[in-house]
Amino acid sequence: MNEYDDKWEERINALLDGELEADDAELLKAEATDDRELARAIVDAYQLQQAMDALRVERAPASLTKKLQAIPRQHRSKPGFSLFNFAQPRWAAALAAIPLVVIAVSLMRPDTPSAAEIAQARQEMAIAFAYLDKAGVITGREIESTVGRTMANAVTDSVNRTIQSQSLNFKENEA
Amino acid sequence: MSKKYRQWVKEYQDQAWTVARYILKDAQEAEDATQEAFVKLWKNQDNIDPKRVKPWLMKVTRNGCLDRLRRRRDNVELDESHMAGDVAGPMQGATATEIGIWLKRAIGGLKEPYRSLVVLRDINQHSYEEVAVMLELNLAQVKTYLHRARKQLREQLAEVRP
Repeated sequence: MNEYDDKWEERINALLDGELEADDAELLKAEATDDRELARAIVDAYQLQQAMDALRVERAPASLTKKLQAIPRQHRSKPGFSLFNFAQPRWAAALAAIPLVVIAVSLMRPDTPSAAEIAQARQEMAIAFAYLDKAGVITGREIESTVGRTMANAVTDSVNRTIQSQSLNFKENEA
Repeated sequence: MSKKYRQWVKEYQDQAWTVARYILKDAQEAEDATQEAFVKLWKNQDNIDPKRVKPWLMKVTRNGCLDRLRRRRDNVELDESHMAGDVAGPMQGATATEIGIWLKRAIGGLKEPYRSLVVLRDINQHSYEEVAVMLELNLAQVKTYLHRARKQLREQLAEVRP
């Protein structure tokens, strides 16, 4: 069989894979009756296939399954799972607005502000706080959907306290 | 945990583990390699075509295993030479279980890419097309190499059988 190795190998494998045409299978069978080496190769191939069929995909150990299930918790950097995902535009806008409010408040502490300046400041602060309130609610919803109500309350409470504190300072200054 | 990731773990962990187990022949290292592959899957899940997750994962698992083998090449070659010695021997009256053990060792003793081909195609039962993607070979190469691998195993089996 040696000189025909490749040809026979291809046919034997096709036979095992069920891909050999009926005519070719008959031809192979006929050849095998006259070629003991080929006949032996076919028998060996069947025996190997039988042994191979008995080998199954191995079941992953429970310890590995646990490790695989823990991967999302251990690798939270994936977008959408970060608690403080600064790529979110509403988060970024809300947090960026806080220092602006603080700066605005500190700048609005002249010793003798005019009535017009106070009125203008009041209007700007009202807009800013309304925006921050809205952003806080939206942010709270996002956090809540990701990590649950407890954590959401903790974060939004903190933002609200900051806003209220600024608001109080503003009112004190105004008074 | 995302639902699709959890589904991938459920569907593919055994196949990835089997690939790693056969290539590395060390349970702890196979576990580490499989874990690494799934970490990569988690981190790249948004960049992978959902229809190609399985071949992607098998390829990454295999490549990770081969990297590990390269790092301990000397030891592996020693193991493989011992493996050949273990495989040979009389199998007269061998039970199916004994033949199974022998065959696992014989597969483990094959050189790459033959070993991966046999594991992916004959044990994991992936299609020729999937195996071609996993191993970055064309279909003709997959078939030719697999024929050679099976022939080697067949000849070894013939030697040890009465």
